[in-house]
Order: sequence, then C-alpha cells, then structure tokens
Amino acid sequence: MTRTPDQDSFRYPLVWRLLDGLNTAADVLWPRKMARFTGWLLLAPALLLVGILVISLVQIAESSLHVLDRSTFMPGEDYTLANYATIADSATYARVLWRSLLGAALTVVFTLLLALPYSYVMVRTTSALTRKALLIVLFLPFFIGQVVRAYGILIVMGRSGAVNDILGLVGIEPLRLLFNFPAVVFGLVQYMLPFAVLMLAPALTAIPREIEAAANSLGANWIRTFRHIVIPMAKPGLVGAGLVVGTLSLTDFAMPAMLGGGSQDFIANAIYDQFFRTADQGLGSALALILVALGSVIVGVIIAFFGAGTLGMGGKK
Amino acid sequence: MNTGHPKTPTDKPAAGSNVAVCASNVTMDFSGFKAVNNASFELEAGKFLTILGPSGSGKTTLLQMIAGFLTPTSGEITINGKSVDAAPPHRRSIGMVFQKLALFPHMTAAQNVAFPLKMRRFNPKTIPNRVAQFLDLVKLGDYGARRVNELSGGQQQRVAIARALVFEPELLLLDEPLAALDVKLREEMQLEFRRIQHELGVTTINVTHDQREALVVSDDIIVMDSGKIQQQARPVEMYRAPDNPFVAGFLGMSSFLRGTACAGGLVVEGQRVAGTASAAIADGAPVCGAIRAEQIRIAASEAQLGDCDTRLSGVVRDAIFEGERQLYVVALNTAGEAEIRVYHHDPLTFGLFEIGAPVVLGWNTSDMKIFADGGAE
Ligand SMILES: Nc1ncnc2c1ncn2[C@@H]1O[C@H](COP(=O)(O)OP(=O)(O)O)[C@@H](O)[C@H]1O
Ligand SMILES: [Mg+2]
Repeated sequence: MTRTPDQDSFRYPLVWRLLDGLNTAADVLWPRKMARFTGWLLLAPALLLVGILVISLVQIAESSLHVLDRSTFMPGEDYTLANYATIADSATYARVLWRSLLGAALTVVFTLLLALPYSYVMVRTTSALTRKALLIVLFLPFFIGQVVRAYGILIVMGRSGAVNDILGLVGIEPLRLLFNFPAVVFGLVQYMLPFAVLMLAPALTAIPREIEAAANSLGANWIRTFRHIVIPMAKPGLVGAGLVVGTLSLTDFAMPAMLGGGSQDFIANAIYDQFFRTADQGLGSALALILVALGSVIVGVIIAFFGAGTLGMGGKK
Repeated sequence: MNTGHPKTPTDKPAAGSNVAVCASNVTMDFSGFKAVNNASFELEAGKFLTILGPSGSGKTTLLQMIAGFLTPTSGEITINGKSVDAAPPHRRSIGMVFQKLALFPHMTAAQNVAFPLKMRRFNPKTIPNRVAQFLDLVKLGDYGARRVNELSGGQQQRVAIARALVFEPELLLLDEPLAALDVKLREEMQLEFRRIQHELGVTTINVTHDQREALVVSDDIIVMDSGKIQQQARPVEMYRAPDNPFVAGFLGMSSFLRGTACAGGLVVEGQRVAGTASAAIADGAPVCGAIRAEQIRIAASEAQLGDCDTRLSGVVRDAIFEGERQLYVVALNTAGEAEIRVYHHDPLTFGLFEIGAPVVLGWNTSDMKIFADGGAE
C-alpha cells in the first residue's frame, strides 16, 4: 500500500493514542491466553472484601464460644455454648429479637406502601419538572445522614416540637411521640424510603405504558390495573426493595438508639452494649452470629421462594 | 395538501343506515401541531376498515381517539350512535390490539384471554369454555397453558387477537400489530385477520403503513397524509381511481409528469401527453399526470407495442429484477426527460433491455390520470 500525502498529514487524536497505549500495556501485563481468568481478576477486589468479612466472622464465632471470666474480665479458656444458653434463657434477649424482627417487618410494609406510589408517579409523570423535583426530594436525605436525621426527628417530634405545636393549635394536648416503638419504626421508614423508591423505579420503568392502556381497554379500572398488572409485574422490584429495607432495618443501630431512648433496643444495640459497655465479647459475638444467621435464613428463604430473578438478575425461577 | 378538488368522504353517498363508527370533523391539536386535521368518516357495521398512511400521518392518534384514550380538540366520534367519551375506557366495548401487543407477561396465554372476562364480570362458570373457544378460533387450542414468552411472535399475535375479541366488543381496533413480523408471517396473519373478522363479523378498524396489507384485508380503505384524510374508498376503487397524486403514489407504483393542462391531456416541456382528468381543469393550470407502472408496455419498436394510443420513446436508465417481474426506469427523450417506471411481467423476456437501450413506451389515455397540481406528490 502506498502512503498518500493525506495519510501522512493525518495524526491520530491524543486520546486514541493513549487508549492504544493502554491496550498495549494491558496486553503485556495480562496476555491474551489468560483471558479465561479475566472474570476472576475482575472479581478479585470483591473476593478480597468478602474474605476479610469471612475471617472476621470466623473470629467472632470463635470468641462466641468463650464465656467472660468475671474475676479477670478476660475470656475464659474453655470452649462452651454457655453464651448461647444465656441468650436462649433470657426473656430480655427474646424481646429484643422479637422487637427487631417485628420492627423490620413493619418497616418493610410501610416503606413499600409509601414507596410504590411515589416511585410510580416519578416514573409515569409526563412533566420533566415534576420528575426532577421528586428525585431531588428523594436524594436530599442521603446527604444528611442517619444520625442527623434522627436528631431532626427528635426536635420536630419532641414535647415542644413542631408536631406538638400544630396538634396544640387544634386543641390536642402534647403527646409523647418519641422513645417508643412506633417512633423507631417511623424513623426507620423515613430512613429507608429513598432506598426503596430507587429500587422500585427501574422495575416500574420496565412496565410499558401500553400494558396499562391494554388492561384499561380490556375492562380494568386503575385500581384493578394496579392490583392485577402493575404490582405482579413489579414483583421483582418489590421483593428486592423489601429485602434491602428488611435487612438494613433488622441490623439498624442509630434509629433504635436515638428514637427508642434506650427502651427500644434492636439486636445491634444489644451487641453494641456487650462489646462496648459490659465488655462481654463472648456474649456480643454470640448475639452477632445469631443476627447474621437470622438475616441469612430470611434472605435465603425469600430468594428460594421468589427465585434469584427477583433481584433483577437474569434467570427464571 | 391542496388537491384542487377536495372530495371529502362527507360528499359520499351515506354509507347505508347501519353506521357503526362515525367521526365528524375530528381534530387533534398537540399545542399547535395538528396530528389529525378535520377528519370525517363513516364505517358500516361489520366492515373491515383500514387506515393507511405513512409514518407520522396521524393514524395512531386517530385510532387512540376512537378508542377514547385521547379526547379530540374538536369534533365528535360516535360508536353505534353513542359518543365515545360517554364512558371511561374500561367501560367501553372496544377490543384493541396494540402495536407492541401489550400481552401480560406474568400470565399464561389462557389467563391473558380470561383477563377481560374477569374484569368485565362474566359468569365465572362460563369463562373457561369461552377462553377455550377463542383460543381455538385463533388456532391456539393447545397452547393455553404456555406463558407468553414461551410463544413465537405469530402465536403471541394470536393471543392478543383472542384477548381483544373474547368479550365480544362492538368494535375491534388494530394498531399496526403486524408491523414487527417478518413478511411471510405478516402475510399469513393478514389472511388470519380477514378470516376471523369474517367469522365473527365484528366491525374492525386496522391501522397500517403497508399498502399491500390494506388492499388484502379491507372492505374499505382510508388514506391519510399529514393528519388529513385523503380518500376513503373500497380497495379496488381506490386503486383504480385515486382522488389525488398522493393516493396514486402511495398505493402501487406510479410515475408522475408535471406540466400544464390542455384539452385532453397535459403539456410537459413542450411535449403533449394525452390523459384523463376526473374533474374539469382550466387550460394552462398546473397539473400532475400519474400512471401506474403495470399499465405501461415497453418494447424495442413502435411496431411491437400493439394497441396503445400514447407512444413515447426513451432510454433505459435502470433495470431492476424483482423476481416475478422486471422494473425498468426509463427516461423519456422528450417531456424534460421525465423518468417513467415500468413493470414488465413477461418471464420469457426478462432482461431483454440493458441499461442505455433505446425503447418505446405505450399506454392508454384512460390510464394517465390528471390531477390539479398542489405541489405535493
Ligand atoms: N402526545 C403527542 N404530543 C405531541 N405530538 C404528538 C403526540 N402524539 C403524536 N404526536 C405527533 O403527531 C404525529 C402523528 O403521530 P401518530 O398518530 O403516532 O402517527 P402514525 O401512527 O401515523 O405514525 C407525529 O408527528 C407525532 O410526532
Ligand atoms: Mg402509529
């Protein structure tokens, strides 16, 4: 092939040459015959993180098998299941466990009930302005963080907070809105709502408008369209959002601690107390393992029931 | 488009007393853009009407107004004498097959077909029988238990039709449901539509941009362009006697000559070409002559042309073999070297003329239609 003046004068853009260079470097560092290991290479960082998690879990499991020696305040030498027995015998821990499960379940229900319509309006609105406004309102809480938000709730719902002020205007005596179970669930729902909306949005976007028009023309009013078409088709999103909200609530620390005022501990609060207040590592570890086991079983059962496809990862059930 | 002699369907003799759908002066204005502009038509009960037009001509918009999903800016649509928006969409008796089918993916074929029956509170005891009957009608008797995504494109099409018909609507609306199918399947489904429609006798409005489909399936065709109804007629009538150059060009393959009117024809760049106008046009007015490719004969010499009262010579510009016929593009020697497209149907002489070959074209004066020229084709 002869080179024309045109080709001589043409210079590849800098970005192209940089990318070519990167390609060459990659070929040298990771020869093509290694291609079948590429998947593992890409997984390596994740595997590393999971590895650290597994190691720490093993250590927690190990320390859960030693009872605190009250005379030395050091873990005893013997392997024993005494910590688990203590938990099993304790009415307090049973209550904490039950409260965590109930709190998580209620949070899931209320969050999904609120998130579904919000997400639906956000996805279906024809006004770009409305959609933007809804998105901004959704993301604002993310910038604020859980502790500050819980503190905000403390102020607004306190004895002399805005909510009681408004109730006072219509002649209702100040109510005790904080430091009880509903307050914790309220805080959790408020905390989880953005996660749920964000997880539901793609599921709802995947439902074509035409499908709803079709249901309409076939005789379904909007309530029945929602019930028979939208909700079943959004099921993967609902299950996924429910799982995320459920596990995050079950293991939450800040909301029960701040809005429960010490009377509404979840498991994470109990674990914290054992590690950092009573310094009973063994008991804390046992509680932690129970929490991990509980969460895993629930997630496992739900995935087994609905199939992995529910999390939007290919594959039928 | 201004065709000079507007012939709106309202001028037509009233279509029987048995009018099922009637649109009068319907306009849909999307903030200044008229997607449908002053459309009026009538459709007799039990007939199959096709709305034919290029993409963006307003077909879907018109159909959505008939279905009641859109409310016209002005004008009125009645179905069996009742205004469309007298009832909300879910109370109307209209079956609709959507462009993307809109089957419910979380249900089986049978559940899809049963859905309108459940929503319309049919007696639950009769539902399974009725579903089976309509699955049989669309030849899917054995596929009821399949999920939608386990069916082929053609089978999904059939489920959508069964679902739209199972509750025996007064009106069936089809919005280009065949557009996504491959040609073979599409032609098969066109015949299926016609069979099912004949069997049930349901009044049907079909929307398509496929002129062949319109000719094959319809009792009546409406051609639309830029939101306006160009012509409403039976298929053969519309093919034989297009009202304006747009219809002549959209239905079948036509060639156009532009010039000025003269007695019994038109003059194109000094060449007089004989033709027939359906309405009186003043001499000297700008006109457009249209002739269909299959109405022209092509030969090497005048002697071989046979019976034709118009003969013009030209040169072959392009020769395209289409299987069952050969298409020649011929540039005339006169008339401003206008290009004329000719179908040659005799398989014995395919490939007779090479590009550049001198030829003679011939046709009958009655086949050269002359329209007042509004500037559009
Ligand atoms: N909701 C709408 N808002 C604005 N313009 C629209 C809307 N729907 C359709 N149009 C416009 O109206 C014209 C006709 O559309 P449509 O009826 O879908 O055409 P067709 O079905 O014949 O392809 C198109 O130019 C389209 O862009
Ligand atoms: Mg369309």
